[in-house]
Amino acid sequence: MTDNTISFYIIDPHKNEQERADVAKLLAQCDLDFENTVEIFVVGRQNGQLAACAGLDGNIVKCVATSPDWRGESLSLRLMGEMAHVAYELGRHHLFLFTRPYNVEAFQGCGFYLLAEVSDQCALMENTPFGIRNYCQSLARLRKDGQKIGGIVVNANPFTYGHQYLIRTAASQCDWLHLFVVAEDASFISYRDRFALVQEGVKGIPNLTLHPGSQYMVSRATFPDYFFKDKGMVGECCTAIDLLLFRNYIAPALGVTHRFVGTEPFCPTTRKYNDDMKQWLQTEPTRGSPITVVEIPRTAVDGTPVSASQVRRLLADRDLEALTKLVPESTLALLKNKYMPAA
Amino acid sequence: MKIVKEALAGTLESSDLLVKVAPSPTDTLEVMVQSEVIRQFGEQINKVVRETLEKMGVTAGQILVDDKGALDCAIRARLQAAVLRGADCNKIEWSRLS
Repeated sequence: MTDNTISFYIIDPHKNEQERADVAKLLAQCDLDFENTVEIFVVGRQNGQLAACAGLDGNIVKCVATSPDWRGESLSLRLMGEMAHVAYELGRHHLFLFTRPYNVEAFQGCGFYLLAEVSDQCALMENTPFGIRNYCQSLARLRKDGQKIGGIVVNANPFTYGHQYLIRTAASQCDWLHLFVVAEDASFISYRDRFALVQEGVKGIPNLTLHPGSQYMVSRATFPDYFFKDKGMVGECCTAIDLLLFRNYIAPALGVTHRFVGTEPFCPTTRKYNDDMKQWLQTEPTRGSPITVVEIPRTAVDGTPVSASQVRRLLADRDLEALTKLVPESTLALLKNKYMPAA
Repeated sequence: MKIVKEALAGTLESSDLLVKVAPSPTDTLEVMVQSEVIRQFGEQINKVVRETLEKMGVTAGQILVDDKGALDCAIRARLQAAVLRGADCNKIEWSRLS
């Protein structure tokens, strides 16, 4: 007699090699990559056969697959229900999910809501209809009146004279400037430190609000590739998702009309992001009004444009003399005390 | 009572429902019902949800119901379970739940 029930359980793909191999095989069958950053998989098996899997990486659901033999059995509903419980037990209530647009409807049936979509490429969803709405309501309380409202998102890894110049220039051109610091703790300098340095560096600018970042902007959820840029991966669609969220939700909540950005001479990921900005914030037809992208030429020191990646390289070489010219005192002090590699 | 933490009850399987509750940032009660049978039974489902929350005295929270064609008694039970988990109340007045 065969047992028709599927049992679901969780596995750690980094501890159980057999399970990992089976999951990788199922994912490959479904044209998906096994992603190493997934910490936990929910798997469903019947008579030893792997029927379905769903992975959790932080609060992002990925690597969701059901075996072709099992399609049409509402397996994905059970799978995603299990995943919801597993995530809640880990205290991860707010979940995001990246998928192909043709899967959006299936995941809507599993309690996910569409945030942004790029035709034929990818879609970002979250597991609550209140998520982005709550966030926009909290932003709207910080709205300022004015004709020209600017927005800047910086990672400031670390904060340099380049950022300072960009922010001051933008503020001088706007009635009000909203400045966001990328909140994801995936950079060389911790978020706490990056935020503190930006706070110090923008002191005295009267028409500026400094905002903590959120998962809705340049985060692992909206823009995973940004944090893997050292590996040379620059996703095609991910910048678009991130920018659509800015244009359709964040900018309208704050009344942002202009997005300011520094020209990018070094980092290919950031340069691509700048180019994509013009497309997705300005020209692409979508729900939100177009936002004017203003590129401000980077400030240069001794003929070389100031950039955070340059600063990190100099720091690795312990070149304090060169660093002094590129970063404010507060940044320099922190780099010396905390981030300088041992001689 | 208010929802003070995120909580979950139920499943997404056919004839069941998944209820998610979360604290309200504006201290109001917001309810959202999704159902596979919203066109046939939407009114009845909304009524059961509203009545259940009212009986329990829920005044603030974000309540999300993802219904897969559950019976009224299942809707009540799942909703009560999620609310009791999310409201962090340790004394249950069973008579108010029936």
